[in-house]
Amino acid sequence: MGTYEDGLKMIGAKSEVRFSESEINWPMIKYYCALVEDANPSYWDGDFARERWGSIIAPPGMLQVWMSRIQWKPGGITPAASLADSIPLPGDTLINVSTEAEFLRPMRIGDQLNVVDEIAAISPEKTTRLGTGHFVTTVATYRNQRGEVVARNTNQLFRFTKNQPSSDGAAGKEA
Amino acid sequence: MRPSYPGMLQREWEDVTEGEEVPRITSDVTLKRVIMDAAATWDYFPGHHNVEYANQQGQKTIYINTMFFQGFIDRVITDWAGPETWIVRRKMTMQRSIYAGDTMFGEGKVTRRWVDDDGRHLVDIDIAIGNDDGVACPANATVELPSAGAR
Repeated sequence: MGTYEDGLKMIGAKSEVRFSESEINWPMIKYYCALVEDANPSYWDGDFARERWGSIIAPPGMLQVWMSRIQWKPGGITPAASLADSIPLPGDTLINVSTEAEFLRPMRIGDQLNVVDEIAAISPEKTTRLGTGHFVTTVATYRNQRGEVVARNTNQLFRFTKNQPSSDGAAGKEA
Repeated sequence: MRPSYPGMLQREWEDVTEGEEVPRITSDVTLKRVIMDAAATWDYFPGHHNVEYANQQGQKTIYINTMFFQGFIDRVITDWAGPETWIVRRKMTMQRSIYAGDTMFGEGKVTRRWVDDDGRHLVDIDIAIGNDDGVACPANATVELPSAGAR
């Protein structure tokens, strides 16, 4: 928690580099395509994918999947620390507003991705249906093991304090 | 349109017209599929697998996550445009949830056909993902298509 001015000092702050648990691999690609029911041969057929992309590629929708945390491993796992969560701002609740991804290079089987988050913008105080707070924009830059940028993900979330139910009892129920 | 993978066509940039509809696809979001979503994306946020937790959040049951929405948006595009399509950019806004038991749809419309400074042949598309209650997730994307002129 902190003030808007405290928050503004964090613009440009970057997270530590985080590495994917697992390299990009075909079994996880197939599992995800089975979920989406996506028949695109770029993900299923080695010959087609080699011809078009050089190798089987990961669907763009899997960008964030590679950074998901494994649920257990020997020696324990470190809890997720969100950069947007660490900004000193008023408001104790977050809701995701929008996500914009930009894809620069194919994500290939065998690639090991890493990501760095950066705080790009914090809006002045705004009041919405949910409460009063600030819109926080972060940019995540994903690179492969050769240091090439494969994608950028710009995320906007609303960091806010929930509306208090009014004293007349009329607004006692959450919308 | 030219033949691509057996049984599939690839749309070329010249085939596309502004205002053209991107056909609707639908899919049944069964309970199993929402659980599969958590497993496929390694996303064990309880709203995606724990009904009690979802209820406490004010949600009627468990619901699909962002990464499933993103994959479905991209599928709306590539089912229509073909497997040689490159997604350049995709923006999505989460407005409502899609729940276990819902039938999900996705559809779109071409808003712009253009060539960027690098000579890439691009198409902008507005997309809507929703359920029987209406649109849950508006999105828009820019995709690169092969050009017949460059062949």
